[in-house]
Amino acid sequence: MPPQSDTSPVPVSASPAGSGQSAVPGLIAGAYAVDTTHPLPQAGGGLQAFAVIDHRSGHQGLMAVQSERSAPPRANVLGAFGDWANNALLPPLALGPARSARGENAWFVISPAPPGPPLSAELHPWGERELLERVLRPAAGVLQALGERHITHRAIRLDNLFQAGASGSVVLGSAWSAPPAFHQPALYEPAYSAMCLRSGRGDGSIADDVYALGVVLAVLALGKMPLEGLAPDDILRRKLELGSFAALVGNARLPPVISDLVRGMLAEDPEHRPPPALLVDPIAARARRVAARPPRRAQHPLVLSGSTVWDARTLAFAIAQDPESSPRLLRSGNVERWLRRNLGDSAAAAKMAEIVHLRTFDGPVDDARADGMLVMRAVASLDPLAPLCWRGVALWPDGLGPALADAMAAPEKGSILPERLLELVDCEAAGHWAQIRPERSDPTVMQSEARHRRMLMRQRGWAGGLPRLAYALNPLLSCVSPLLGGQAVVRTSELLQALDAAAANAQIRRSLPMDHDIAAFVAARADQSSAANIASLDGKVTPDQASLLQLQTLANLQQSGKGMALPGLAGWLLEQLAPAVATWHNRQRREALERALQHLASAGNLPAMVTLIDSPEARKADEEGHRAAIETAHRIDATLRALAAGKTRRTESARQMGQELTLGLAVMALTAAVVAMVLS
Amino acid sequence: MSAKPVRKQTRNPGTRLWIQGLACGAALTLATPATVLALLLLAPALAALLLDAEPGRPCGRTTLLAGAAAAIGPVFRLWSSGGPVGSALAAASDPQLLLTCWLAQAGAWLATQLTPLVIRLVLEANAATQIARLRRQRASYEKDWGVPPAEETSPT
Repeated sequence: MPPQSDTSPVPVSASPAGSGQSAVPGLIAGAYAVDTTHPLPQAGGGLQAFAVIDHRSGHQGLMAVQSERSAPPRANVLGAFGDWANNALLPPLALGPARSARGENAWFVISPAPPGPPLSAELHPWGERELLERVLRPAAGVLQALGERHITHRAIRLDNLFQAGASGSVVLGSAWSAPPAFHQPALYEPAYSAMCLRSGRGDGSIADDVYALGVVLAVLALGKMPLEGLAPDDILRRKLELGSFAALVGNARLPPVISDLVRGMLAEDPEHRPPPALLVDPIAARARRVAARPPRRAQHPLVLSGSTVWDARTLAFAIAQDPESSPRLLRSGNVERWLRRNLGDSAAAAKMAEIVHLRTFDGPVDDARADGMLVMRAVASLDPLAPLCWRGVALWPDGLGPALADAMAAPEKGSILPERLLELVDCEAAGHWAQIRPERSDPTVMQSEARHRRMLMRQRGWAGGLPRLAYALNPLLSCVSPLLGGQAVVRTSELLQALDAAAANAQIRRSLPMDHDIAAFVAARADQSSAANIASLDGKVTPDQASLLQLQTLANLQQSGKGMALPGLAGWLLEQLAPAVATWHNRQRREALERALQHLASAGNLPAMVTLIDSPEARKADEEGHRAAIETAHRIDATLRALAAGKTRRTESARQMGQELTLGLAVMALTAAVVAMVLS
Repeated sequence: MSAKPVRKQTRNPGTRLWIQGLACGAALTLATPATVLALLLLAPALAALLLDAEPGRPCGRTTLLAGAAAAIGPVFRLWSSGGPVGSALAAASDPQLLLTCWLAQAGAWLATQLTPLVIRLVLEANAATQIARLRRQRASYEKDWGVPPAEETSPT
């Protein structure tokens, strides 16, 4: 196994591979080069995998699993493999961007390559001993070690379990390049996970991995895929109606030990499944019997939107599947009556009556959100194992981040999904959901999380909304802004480089360098000062303010990063700064500012540009000069008006002065004549 | 306590006319030849005085004063010599004396007409210079500081 970083168990690449500026692919974590010319089919468990060249140690046998844009790697588990020593798992070694086979930049998770083909390559009935020694023991050991680290695998399936060469025992494949259970078919997931959005299944618990391992054991014991050809919804319905074990195994005969183990591992309640530590000793695990009470079955079924339901769990599923007409049925009291009279569960009926009564406080009759809350509460009350079901969307609260990423990155999948996800955040549905099932989750923690998410979503300006929430909840989600030209940008340092490269495109340069997606991305990943700037950015801000705020934000990023010169981005910003420069009043100062900004832009120094254009002293002097100029202009205007109005006065003055002057001269002449006469 | 109305200290025009008529009558009676000569030499000024409708008759007064300056010498000499009315008529028939007096009055009259015009021209030129300077100053503020253009009330 290659050496790992001392500071981070899973080194994240700092190479500028995502910039797209270099023809040579960058090294991930300074060591791993992805060799996209050598794909490794079937190694990535459904994801593309490629061979890796380790430039540091020359270690062979590594692979890079490529993440999809809409399904980011599992950031929360990647750092927990520091001293991993179990060879029955392909642990993550490093994470970072590199050039993909299609020439785009993508993020890869480096891990050891599988030692052999996947179990799905050749399916045949396995014997009891093989199953116990080569599958159950090594896999249970891995799950036990993962459980001790509070990590789940959530990708245990035939095409992600590999046969080791010599020992023949299985190795669990990579499960780190996509959200938990993202690629799991409904067959391998418990009903409460299979009914969720595939991106919203959440981390789950190690019991869910035990379930998937139980399915694998059953499939290998049978030597064929059960329920083959059925749609995921049909598989789910059969699991709900018959129970997982009966749905999968049916009347087939399994080896007795395997049958007992699988029955326990496929228990509907995760608390009833044997823990991995017990599975390491199959005999002890077989002996463990949990007396699970069979679900109550009604004397007469309830027909709901074409579905016939016999018990509370299938009723919950039917209600969740039909969010439009279910509220009416619930409000009518039919469900409560059926629970009381046909199912004989007066406690459930009383709780349902209470939930329907709560509906009156949530909003008027035609309030769709209040109906959504009613359905969500009813489902959680009828089936405490069920996920959060909000108006046709089912997910676990910790799967909200990947679900948002999926909805945002691929909006063509259906415009209703982002709206539904935002609704459930806005209503703090997770908090209300947890209150209905306090025995399964901590309502205080869930309410606090729900409130925090709502607060993030409601941030003003471009710092809020769906993008902000998606980037905040997915630390490794690439920015989906079209301005980045398809480059995989996960960190703010990559953002600056990507924008610098995008500045070469004249079409892109026509708008400001930050759109809503980039702003939300920066608000989620950068410091508080950037978030405050971004909160001021919205449709109401004037062009000069917008350009200045964006310059300040990007300058903060450049300053907090390596301070790498960004001449392309600086030139782009300079063009967009024209309205901000125009707000300076003094022409000479403005021209000098433009010349200085031009100089700084060519050097790619954004912080210096901010210092120059946003200098409080210079701005104050300019404002004071402008005020003085206006006052002087007003005085000039007043003088000009007075001069224009003084024409009549001047005429009168001229007449008086002329008369007085001539009179004076005449008096002087008379005086002179008198004097001359007297003297003569 | 109300203030007493201020009594206007103006002389009755009738009284003044009466005093002026009395003075003229006295002059005609006591110094007939000198008065005749003065009337003949100051005839244009007296005509201007009569025709001047402006309050204070500034034009007439100036013309009369200028004529008086020219005529005072001959009139005083006639009065001093005690000559008869014939002597007055003889002196008045001296073209040089008559022309001198009348030209002095004509010049004075012309001066009263032209001087205000000249002064007005000077004042207007001064105002125009000031306006041009202020407009240049304002234009420089508009250009350098972005001050909005002058309003319509400003002189154009």
